[in-house]
Amino acid sequence: MADAVILPKLGQTVEESTIVKWHKSEGDDVAKGDILFEIETDKAVLEVESFFEGKLLKVFAVDGDTLPVLSVVGYIGKDGEDVPDQPPAAVVPATPAPEVSEKKAAAPKVAVAPVASPVAKAAAPVVSAPVVAAPVRLKISPRAKKLAVSKCISPAGVTGTGPEGRIVVKDIVAYLDSYNYDDIKISPSAKKLAVNEEIDILTVKATGLGGRMVIEDVRRAVDEKPKTMTKMRKVISQRLTESFRDVPHFYVTVSVDMTDVLAFRQEVKSQGGEYSVTDFILEAVIMTLEEFKPVNSMTDGTTVTWSSSVDLGLAVGLDDGLVVPVISDSGNLSMQELHDTVKDLATRARSGKLMPDEMQGSTFTVSNMGMFGVDNFNAIINPGESAILAVASTIKTPVVKDDKVVVRDIMKLTLSVDHRIVDGTVGAMFVNAVKEKLEDIALWETLV
Amino acid sequence: MPNYLSNSKPDFKPYTVDCGEIKAFSYKKTLKSELSSKKVGKQECIDMLEDMMMIREFEEMIIKLRSGAYPSCAGFDYRGPTHVSIGQEASAVGGCIGIAADDQITSTHRGHGDSIAKGCAAIRAMSTDELKKRVPKSKAKGRKDLLEAVLEDHIFKTCAELFGKEAGYCKGRGGGMHIADFSVGHLGANAIVGGGVPIATGAAMAARYKKEKTVTACFAGDGAYANGVVLESLNWAAMHQFTNHLAKGNKFGLPVIYLLINNHYGMTGRADDEVAGVGCLARRAVGFADNNMHAQVVNGMDVMAVRDAVQTAAEGCRKGKGPYLMEIDSYRYYGHSLSDPRNEYRMREEEANWKAVDPIDTFANKLIKNKVMSAARYESLKMQVEERNAVAAGRAAKSPDPEAIDVIKYMYTDGNSEEVPAKHQKVKIVKEEPVIERDAEGQLSYKDAIKEALLEEMKRDGRVMIYGEDVADYGGAFKVTKGLLEAFGRDRVFNSPISEAAICGTAVGAAMVGLRPVVELMYMDFALMASDQISNQAAKWHYMTGASVEVPVVYRAAVGGGKGYGGQHSQTLETMFAHMPGMIVAYPSTPYDAKGMLKTAIRDNNPVMFVESQMLYGFKGVVPEEEYTIPFGVADVKRAGTDVTLVTWGPAVHDALKAAEALQAEKVSVEVIDLRTIVPLDIDTVLDSVKKTGRCVVASQCISNASFTGEIASQVMEKVFDYLDAPVARIGALNGIAPQSHVLEAAFLPNANDIANVCKSLM
Repeated sequence: MADAVILPKLGQTVEESTIVKWHKSEGDDVAKGDILFEIETDKAVLEVESFFEGKLLKVFAVDGDTLPVLSVVGYIGKDGEDVPDQPPAAVVPATPAPEVSEKKAAAPKVAVAPVASPVAKAAAPVVSAPVVAAPVRLKISPRAKKLAVSKCISPAGVTGTGPEGRIVVKDIVAYLDSYNYDDIKISPSAKKLAVNEEIDILTVKATGLGGRMVIEDVRRAVDEKPKTMTKMRKVISQRLTESFRDVPHFYVTVSVDMTDVLAFRQEVKSQGGEYSVTDFILEAVIMTLEEFKPVNSMTDGTTVTWSSSVDLGLAVGLDDGLVVPVISDSGNLSMQELHDTVKDLATRARSGKLMPDEMQGSTFTVSNMGMFGVDNFNAIINPGESAILAVASTIKTPVVKDDKVVVRDIMKLTLSVDHRIVDGTVGAMFVNAVKEKLEDIALWETLV
Repeated sequence: MPNYLSNSKPDFKPYTVDCGEIKAFSYKKTLKSELSSKKVGKQECIDMLEDMMMIREFEEMIIKLRSGAYPSCAGFDYRGPTHVSIGQEASAVGGCIGIAADDQITSTHRGHGDSIAKGCAAIRAMSTDELKKRVPKSKAKGRKDLLEAVLEDHIFKTCAELFGKEAGYCKGRGGGMHIADFSVGHLGANAIVGGGVPIATGAAMAARYKKEKTVTACFAGDGAYANGVVLESLNWAAMHQFTNHLAKGNKFGLPVIYLLINNHYGMTGRADDEVAGVGCLARRAVGFADNNMHAQVVNGMDVMAVRDAVQTAAEGCRKGKGPYLMEIDSYRYYGHSLSDPRNEYRMREEEANWKAVDPIDTFANKLIKNKVMSAARYESLKMQVEERNAVAAGRAAKSPDPEAIDVIKYMYTDGNSEEVPAKHQKVKIVKEEPVIERDAEGQLSYKDAIKEALLEEMKRDGRVMIYGEDVADYGGAFKVTKGLLEAFGRDRVFNSPISEAAICGTAVGAAMVGLRPVVELMYMDFALMASDQISNQAAKWHYMTGASVEVPVVYRAAVGGGKGYGGQHSQTLETMFAHMPGMIVAYPSTPYDAKGMLKTAIRDNNPVMFVESQMLYGFKGVVPEEEYTIPFGVADVKRAGTDVTLVTWGPAVHDALKAAEALQAEKVSVEVIDLRTIVPLDIDTVLDSVKKTGRCVVASQCISNASFTGEIASQVMEKVFDYLDAPVARIGALNGIAPQSHVLEAAFLPNANDIANVCKSLM
């Protein structure tokens, strides 16, 4: 009996996944542990390994297909074995959907950005998604719609004169006439592309000879067409909108003199120690979080939940989006361990190989744009946390030191704070505590 | 000058009606005397015993199958009815042996016995060549082996039919309750109680008309003799006009023997003391014929008694003395089916009393006693019968099922009567033909166009006959058939009693055996009186027999809507018959179509519901004098248009054309399509038009609720959705009952204005 290849459910909230790429084709031999395909969830691209050994007898999904999790996407079995031609219906997950309850709300671990586990979502204040008015259904007869499609125009702007205001075929004809549609000159290849890409050619500027619409014109229109966000972008969009709308942010900025710590880093480096500036910043933040309970807490608006461990999120920018891998229980890591963990997480984050569990449960996030030459910036708090630290670039700056103007390496840190649980004083004390640590070479000498 | 004018006088002198006598159990001959007088041969006796044993073995197999206890079919899951007739074998065998091998039977839902017996009787009478033809692949040599092979094949085909296999007598389409083998004169078992009785009557009527000596034995149970169509059929068969002065040169009673198999139970309803008011069911005959249909009561547990009575009746039938009615007193050992434990309505002692006179045991004992066969021979015969059944059943169980893809194969036949056999081409004109005159423009009325079609087809093919209420001397309630009696005589044009079920049912029987009846239902509403005969019999037999019979019958039904005749004379019911697979449903709208379509209907070998509009009978149109027919399933585009497709049929066509004319003035261009037949439906013409116009309105005079208009609307939406510029609309009569008040009826039926308004609402 052949074994079904199931689209895995990687996390409680994941309801569907997209098959990015099959690594095996129908007929290929498969060993246990071989990578069958890659999937993209709303969080990451993951490799799915085979539990079985045999021949890949059947594949039901192609690259790019989005399917419900637990769908059967293929069969592995002995050569020549009979397998169904159609995939069976997706298995209904045995576990019921999580309920929002008081107990859940008290769960200590909370979400990491940009995507939250369902528990975290439930724990977070229940904020209903913004009510977007359903797009008004265009009342159009099937015949009129067909004509519009064949003419490469959008009927959205057509006034319907049929019963109940329905757009009927003569309305399309009148609309086309009003645009002198018959005078539009379009090359056959441009027309074909417009049909395939559903481009309204009335909106395309013709640049060909004698006002002829050419394929480049349509290609431009295709590029300008609204594109559906990736799953990751949609999640970022939803989560950050939620945070920025519902969490009262305020910002506290300090300038940190990094001159000494940079020199210290060079010195360690020359002795073979591989630490990044980020490692120093993160270590300083971790130590400070252990001192400031409210900043390592979260609120749902009525309760405040403190986390005894510092699970530090590190925002990592990707080509299109960002992820936040979590350094769990970072307070117990040595500088070296911290360095190794950050390096590993960042590398895997950029190649999309993080496991979903490695992206949830952070209590505080650091967003470092130091490498991008920014003077200063404000970050948006990840839902489920009470603050985020924005790290700007280190810039040589004339400053007054011992009543003399000197050039120092200055870096601005801006803390974004949830004012519901952290007040200005605590915020100011927190950033200054980080600053003091970074400027305290004696401290680093004990740590490295 | 009419054929016959009644001239009765009031006569109220007192007198007594003599109902005569019905003899019961008068057969007193012994087997010895029958043998010595050569009334029966020894081998014939053994054959009858074997046939009864074959029936019992077969039916006991059914019982065993249900509990998986029949070894040669181990693992086979029999799904189907279990109406066994164990105990009644003598009536089946005696009945089938009493008629000739080429005579006919009809049977019932409890008809395994009749079917096996009829087949065996026919097979035993076959020549060696005929036997070979039944089993072309058999290697059997010599008559004895060949006969054995054919008997085994008979049981095999019977089992296969019961099991729903392609190799069955009806290719698994009919099953045990509808088994038929026309090659041996078995016109079909019938799962509608009493349903086969008018069929047998019609088959006998056909034999009378064709002057053949074929006798039809009609098996039906006590339960059937409380059913309307059965009583209608008895009256029909005994009608004076078949035997009195009206019959002129063909005074010949219908050659039919009604074998009333009284097994004392309907399903469980008791003929004795419960659901009948007579002690002896043979008394039914008294009400229908002055000669009591020669009725007698026969011992149904004695095969010799049944054989003797049926032989006598068959001889009488061949002399034109039919019909005959025999009550065969018999008993069903088991319940209605295997799910009936019997103990709710009868005593075990009763069963024991009847089993004590078991037809097989008693006859076997007689044969042994009279040295017709030895006890040892009886034992070996038992073994032979068991073994034969086991082999045949095992083969049947393993034989291929029909292909699922063929599920609706055989619904219709492509057959027609374009070629008329030479002997039917000679048609006698009794007196003068009716004169059908065209006006100066070459026009005929719709009514005369129909008459002309009938006239032409009756002249063309002697198998076409017409009957119905008042169609003969009076020429029909609407004078459509006036003059046809005078032209063709009463054998081909006769008045029926007011028995719509028998009109429609006898037509099925007559059509099955080669006639082409065109029968008239004065008002279409009356078709409901005959709905079983039209829908369950005429429509289904071609399919249910796996295409081994065709039923070329035309039902002419006139719609009275618009005349103020109220709820029971005004309905437009073609939708109902379109829902009956197997029927063709035609409804012409013009004289031209009426003639051409009726000619097609008469020549088509499928049953046709031919709907006529009384409101159109006077409508005139040009009808060519030369020969033409109009094929079914070809719609007629009456008017071309570009904005709306108006699909319609029947009288609504004329309202649609008026509406189109009116809309033209409003710059709305309407294409009017007359479907002409709704089954078969020319949907392609409709779809092509809708693709062009983008709008579709379906109009008929049917009430809209569950109307065929909805079927068309649905198909248009399914098939050309992308071409629609508006929802498909339909218009029919209001969803109510036709009122008598002409004010109300005008509101009830759709008119041209209503149709135009619906079209406009889509613009």
